[in-house]
Amino acid sequence: MRASELLAAEVRTVDGRRLGVVTGLRCSLDGPSQGPTPAPRVRALVVTGRHVGAALGYQQENQRGPWLVRALIRALHRRSRLVDVGLIDRVEAGTVRLSAEPD
Amino acid sequence: MKRLLSVFLGVLTAIGGFVDIGDLVANALAGARFGLSLVWVTVLGVVGICLFAEMSGRVAAVTRRGTFDLIRERLGPRAGLLNLVASLLVTVLTFTAEIGGVALALELATSVNYLLFVPVVGFAVWLVIWRLRFKVLENVFGLLGLALIVFPVALWKLNPAWGDLLHSIVAPHKPASEDLSTYLYYGVALFGAAMTPYEVFFFSSGAVEERWTAKDIATSRVNVFIGFPLGGLLSVAIAACAALVLMPAGIEVGTLGQVGLPVAVAVGKLGLAVAILGFVAATFGAALETGLSTGYSIAQYFGWQWGKFVRPRDAARFHVVVLLALIAAIACVLTTADPIKVTEYSIVFSAVALPLTYFPILVVANDPVYMGEHVNGRLSNALGTVFLGIIIVVAAAAVPLMLLTSAGQ
Amino acid sequence: MTDESFDDMTDESFDLRLRLLDRQVVDPDGAMICKVDDVELAPADGGGYVVTALLAGPLALGPRLPGRLGRWTVALARRWSDDPEPSPRRIPFERVTELGSAVVLDRSRDQLGIAGLEDWVRTHVIDRIPGSRHASE
Repeated sequence: MRASELLAAEVRTVDGRRLGVVTGLRCSLDGPSQGPTPAPRVRALVVTGRHVGAALGYQQENQRGPWLVRALIRALHRRSRLVDVGLIDRVEAGTVRLSAEPD
Repeated sequence: MKRLLSVFLGVLTAIGGFVDIGDLVANALAGARFGLSLVWVTVLGVVGICLFAEMSGRVAAVTRRGTFDLIRERLGPRAGLLNLVASLLVTVLTFTAEIGGVALALELATSVNYLLFVPVVGFAVWLVIWRLRFKVLENVFGLLGLALIVFPVALWKLNPAWGDLLHSIVAPHKPASEDLSTYLYYGVALFGAAMTPYEVFFFSSGAVEERWTAKDIATSRVNVFIGFPLGGLLSVAIAACAALVLMPAGIEVGTLGQVGLPVAVAVGKLGLAVAILGFVAATFGAALETGLSTGYSIAQYFGWQWGKFVRPRDAARFHVVVLLALIAAIACVLTTADPIKVTEYSIVFSAVALPLTYFPILVVANDPVYMGEHVNGRLSNALGTVFLGIIIVVAAAAVPLMLLTSAGQ
Repeated sequence: MTDESFDDMTDESFDLRLRLLDRQVVDPDGAMICKVDDVELAPADGGGYVVTALLAGPLALGPRLPGRLGRWTVALARRWSDDPEPSPRRIPFERVTELGSAVVLDRSRDQLGIAGLEDWVRTHVIDRIPGSRHASE
């Protein structure tokens, strides 16, 4: 599977309710690797109600700068949540279907 | 001592390399029609380019990466691609204008039709990019561009009433015979000419070519804050000469010869010869910069090896892109479209593309993950935000004004 | 091509999109190889999906571009390849020695065997022009 199949995919719950769109992949750096560096391990999907801002790649973390820029980015990032990848049932044709309700 | 000399050389190169065909045409046009009532726009544009050149130079020195590389990384491939395409179109248009400019300047010197010079100029541009070292390229044409100092000299020789001159700059008064919309249109053109997008890509890529590190930030600032404003002074001198000589005579600028006319009047034939040398150097240097910028932007977006710091065969796609852009630019000039008109369009569309270029730089320069301790300070951010606002207004107004005034008629 | 300000790859969580995707990939000497156009994931023991390889080239980037442009990119890349079922250029993750401001590998571009367009352009265009092997003067 490719990261691009997850990113921008729609996330739907068991009963088909649209949760939002995947706008990020939260990782830890402890994945098994045969090389010198540990591989990133995707642990959770960042699911956002709105798509626009994140599609422009603006992330909230550590963003400093003119208040206008920060305010714009905050506005574009309302309603973001993390969904553990263990809840993924299957990924098909641009949609991620969950096997259970995220909390 | 050696360090001081190299800094001095850097400043001189920045001054001489500041003016390109867009500045020549826009300032002369504005001066001839509006006197000095639009100089404030040039000043504003110079402040803007200083601000963003400093930012992009700092970003390149700290991250050791080029602008488009970082834009794609920070904004993602889709926004980055939009940025790339828009910037590329404007840069190739500017490239066309610059090549036309060199040909026009050579026509002025020899009275041979400019179209005949176009293939020669194209080949020369390619050859210099292919063989000459980056630093040599920058320095040679930057220093030769200092010939344009003949414009402040001509201004001085014209012996204007300095008090009146200063007054009309500081308290601008639109000529009654001109519409407000035309006045604003030329303002947009001057702004676009001063803040051309390719400058930023070239400056940041050049910083990587010359292997700048955080230690070079101070030198970069000297180049930008001393060299660019002095270069801007050359632009103002061109406008002032046009205002003093062409405006009273009712001569509108439509040829490069008319741009140089005030120098011929004030300093004579020798002065005009020096001015022509300045035209050739400024436009040829800018042709090199825009040509390289097309390669820089595409290669940096896709992650290809780029730059003149490696052998051509180690950056094959980069050199092919530059070659293709050159062929496209030559073909455009050979359509016999008036190079002066092409220049006008290139600077107006540059104004439209400004927000796409500058907003990402502001974002990256503020990101502590990239910049560490070198993030923007409060002053840079305050000014940056103000200018972003100005840039957005100018970009939005550019095309409507162009249509409203039929491109400045 | 490392930089001390890049301490984002800590054991704390980070976003793959920001810290790995679209990053420049370089060889041990800093020469530019490609961008991380996409990334291959596989389910891992201990939960989650682990990055198994970096993907590059139009077949990797194409699907990330919007709409028709994306589809055309992929279609064109398919035509260009001799393979009936072409896959994107793949760099196994064990080649990576460092994840910083750029992704550093342990081999050079030629040793990886993934250059396609660059080699073609170099052979058919650039090497035919005199002076291509010399550094600029």
